[in-house]
Amino acid sequence: MHLEHLWLTDFRSYAEAEFQPAPLGITVVTGANGEGKTNLIEAVGYLATLRSLRGSPAEAMVRDGAETGFAVVRCDGRRDGRRVVIEAELHATGRDRVQVGGQLLRRSRDLLGAFQVTVFSPDDLALVKGGPQSRREYLDDLLVALHPRHDATISEVERVLKQRNALLKSAFGSQGGSGGRAGRSGREIPEDVVVTLDVWDAKLAAAGEDLVRARASLADALGPGAVETYRRLSVGVAHRGRDAVSLTYRKSWEGTLLDALQRSRSEDLRRGVTSVGPHRDELDLAVGGLPARTHCSQGEQRSLALTLRLAGHQLVTDRIGSSPILLLDDVFSELDQVRSEALLTCLPFGQALVTTAGDLPDGADVQARFRVEDGKLLS
Amino acid sequence: MYSAAVQDLIDELGRLPGIGPKSAQRIAFHLLRLSPEDALRLARTIAVVKERVSWCRRCFNIAEVPEGTNSAEEAPECEICRDPRRDPSVVCVVEEPRDVIAVEKTREYRGRYHVLQGAISPIDGIGPDKLRIRELLARLDPEGIKEVILCTNPNIEGDATALYLASLLKALPVKVTRIASGLPVGGDLEYADELTLGRALEGRRELGD
Repeated sequence: MHLEHLWLTDFRSYAEAEFQPAPLGITVVTGANGEGKTNLIEAVGYLATLRSLRGSPAEAMVRDGAETGFAVVRCDGRRDGRRVVIEAELHATGRDRVQVGGQLLRRSRDLLGAFQVTVFSPDDLALVKGGPQSRREYLDDLLVALHPRHDATISEVERVLKQRNALLKSAFGSQGGSGGRAGRSGREIPEDVVVTLDVWDAKLAAAGEDLVRARASLADALGPGAVETYRRLSVGVAHRGRDAVSLTYRKSWEGTLLDALQRSRSEDLRRGVTSVGPHRDELDLAVGGLPARTHCSQGEQRSLALTLRLAGHQLVTDRIGSSPILLLDDVFSELDQVRSEALLTCLPFGQALVTTAGDLPDGADVQARFRVEDGKLLS
Repeated sequence: MYSAAVQDLIDELGRLPGIGPKSAQRIAFHLLRLSPEDALRLARTIAVVKERVSWCRRCFNIAEVPEGTNSAEEAPECEICRDPRRDPSVVCVVEEPRDVIAVEKTREYRGRYHVLQGAISPIDGIGPDKLRIRELLARLDPEGIKEVILCTNPNIEGDATALYLASLLKALPVKVTRIASGLPVGGDLEYADELTLGRALEGRRELGD
């Protein structure tokens, strides 16, 4: 799939902008820091995910001083030889309106999968260095890209967790509130809470097992591609024998989730949070058999983060038969020369939009160039 | 800015659900322009509703005291509960009075109702004790109820409420059923979302006899 034409109105720093990237190969967008290069990437990302890549709320994406009170992102693209026209209105307050091919979507979720992107950003290092949350999100985003139906599973798990935690907290409150009884060890949970907890446990177990099964098989599917990609990325960098990457999904419980929730119930009631479930799982990353988070150099960690993105991209391409648009946001500034060149040779065939404040490494096959200056996009 | 009376009106209107400050102002000025009869009719209608309408003492649907009888004393019964043609052995459990209207529109259902007046949602501080669940249990035996149809919304909170009720009713000699969820009639498969279609597949039925 690729983008042919993008129009922005009152989006972030752009009052009006028009963007026509090359359909294949690299389109590079240069400009000083703070000029709005990332905003362009964010707009494309929004059309694919209906979210800000930086996690900003819609109001942050509407240009300050926009008279209409909303931003418009419109694109004309192609997917499997067919034209895809998407128009999204982002309202600072209220619901977004999304049209595909002139048809208003009743639920914006229906857009997912129409257009896909793979995003590389300098923050990707957090995939390896950061907490498990970022790695779970990595898996979940890929799951939605592969099977849009999992978007509903993920939000169900989140919602049920919120309800269960709210119940745990209120039950704890009612225990603590009864003054002298709170100090006693014989903890009496009201019958009502027990039965209600059973209900939330059952719902969490059903949705949670579903999500975890999908995540685990995704981690397995990513494995071979990751091994291959990491080898190619670390040519001349890695030590011998230290280039075998492994991805292992690790559940936060043993046996069935339902049993685990029952076992942890008294502990959960004491702490007021759910201590087992998909929200506590981990994607273990290892290089040469050693945990990447603690045993890899900064450079190796960067290579591994790129590997995860590339392997995900490859998997989506293979499974859905159409290559997502690559968005590389200021990635090269963080990489040394060797890794930059390795990344360029690893970039899959397709459309790639690259922003950079400086120069691209030698050997980059640039098809089109744009420059951002004073909130304007110049070719 | 406005005189006290007008400001009071705007404030009162602004407390209504879905009415923001701007709408409240617009409605207030509309009321000011109305003829006295029209305005008073609205006021009287509200007063009458508050006086005559309350929750049905049996099913907690909306119930109106029949005209000509003394209101105050006892909570009235709703029209459905009073209707002798309704089958008292089947009760359909819904979240809100508007759900009763929805089921009634089908004209398929001939039993009675029980309105929970909400769904379990710990986030909003709504536990089973805030719903009309005790009242439902108290109805089973005296009314000779044989089947309870759980007709709560097919969302997370509605499902949880149904599961909760099912576990309470398990031990009792009543049949407990849950409404099916699936595809809208007259719709196209291709437009169904994955979750709904998945549920419809899960709840498939054998055809033929």
